[in-house]
Amino acid sequence: MCGIAGYYDKSSDSTGLIGCTVLDMLRALGCRGPDSAGVALYHAPADGDFVLQIKLGEAGHSQNPTENVIAKVSALSKPKDVSTTGGYLRLTIDGALDPGRVAAAVESTGSEVEVVSMGRRLEIVKQVGSPDRLEETFRISEFKGSHGIGHTRMSTESKVDLSHSQPFWAHGCPDVAIVHNGHITNYHKLRRQYEQHGTRFYTENDSEIIGVYVAQGLSRGLSLEEVLHAALADWDGSFSCLVSTADAMGFVKDSFAHKPLLFGETDGFAVVATEEVALRAVFGSELKVREAGAREVKVWRN
Amino acid sequence: MAELTCEGRTIREINAEIRRLLKDGEAVTVSSPGARHNLGVALLESGDVLFDGSVGYYCAGLIDGVKVRIKGSAGWGLAESMLSGEVIVEGNAGNSAGAAIRGGALVVQGDSGARTGVSMKNGLIIVTGSCGYMSGFMGQGGKMIICGDAAEAFGDSMYETICFVGGEIADLGNDAIVAESTDEDKQFLDASLTRYLPASVRANLPDGGDFKKVVSGRKLWNFKKSEWKTWEQAL
Repeated sequence: MCGIAGYYDKSSDSTGLIGCTVLDMLRALGCRGPDSAGVALYHAPADGDFVLQIKLGEAGHSQNPTENVIAKVSALSKPKDVSTTGGYLRLTIDGALDPGRVAAAVESTGSEVEVVSMGRRLEIVKQVGSPDRLEETFRISEFKGSHGIGHTRMSTESKVDLSHSQPFWAHGCPDVAIVHNGHITNYHKLRRQYEQHGTRFYTENDSEIIGVYVAQGLSRGLSLEEVLHAALADWDGSFSCLVSTADAMGFVKDSFAHKPLLFGETDGFAVVATEEVALRAVFGSELKVREAGAREVKVWRN
Repeated sequence: MAELTCEGRTIREINAEIRRLLKDGEAVTVSSPGARHNLGVALLESGDVLFDGSVGYYCAGLIDGVKVRIKGSAGWGLAESMLSGEVIVEGNAGNSAGAAIRGGALVVQGDSGARTGVSMKNGLIIVTGSCGYMSGFMGQGGKMIICGDAAEAFGDSMYETICFVGGEIADLGNDAIVAESTDEDKQFLDASLTRYLPASVRANLPDGGDFKKVVSGRKLWNFKKSEWKTWEQAL
């Protein structure tokens, strides 16, 4: 069991309090996963710069490598708006740089240092504990933007720490994030194939493969819709999965409809959640919602 | 009539209060259900219960005799293992609606999710809209009426459930076959739809004679080595 939720504002002026909306849905889903909570939120693009959220180390046993990271990044381009919150270093950097080079520079400073998200619009924050604790640390309720996805985790097969929490950034692919409820049962086979081609994995969480898969599909030029349809042939197991990009949000559900996922839509917004309790808590009683069907794929974009 | 709010109460308290009110002969309206799980489970008293909003998982499961109406949607496992009674949901239902029911009637006035009526033993399920993947799976008895379309693998591996589909069947499941409808079937359809659906809804439905009847082909009832190909496909 995990809880996932997503909200997409169709007006696209990026002024809505989407952090608050996603947070309130996660609070309602909190009982599905007490281990960790996280969000991937999209703000208006800031001058085309990349925003990086960087994990400095797992809580409690990190030296502080902030200066090392800044030194490495500065060799590429001068970072701006540097701040630290709850074990994260946040900075912005020239968006014309190659994302792979930026991430490699940051991650060369220590084995626990990880780029949690990179994008012109995307910011991911996640940590061990409840959605309420996530709010205490990061004040996500004040975040304004156009869309966002979130996750509350009940770990079943891999350990509970920040890196294993969701959402996952699709490493190397700016602005792409995923959340997943279920199990990808051919994970080891897929992972081996990717590793043979040089892909680095950061965790032993099967959901991480989804970010890798989506990143590779999109970078091959497929649309988000095409990637999600292709996934139905390539992933085994149970999955209700939400994927967001700079301008779109979509979901895919497995062939057997093993895992719950409901969605509702108005002229102004689209919303997706594991359980209706999250939708009622935020949108009241009028919104019409429907359980997604087996093999159903849906994408919203402006 | 008694009114009961879910706000500030645990599920156990809500269900105990519904039971107490039913025992007193009251019709119960439950407000602010908020799509919470396990509402109205194991009600063994008869009477009327109205949920004034959406309910979560397993609503009205294990009931015997009570009439439940939901003015909203329902989550997974609606009316699971109902012995007798009536459950009407005005919106959509999630997966496994009417799972393993042994009697009573479940009416979904919207669409229902995957595995609707899975392993039902008896009773009646009516879905005004469409039903999801593998509905009717391993149905052992009773009847299921889908007024709209049926998704893939409909009626897979059934025993003696009899299904009627008014719309399109995406694909029949293993050992499910379309059978000839009898006059008795048409009478049953007309009587059931008239009893459980309002006239305004019935006006938009296909005529009783236009429903396709789906039953078990009985090829999977007994294992025969000579029919290994059929089994290979099913398993």
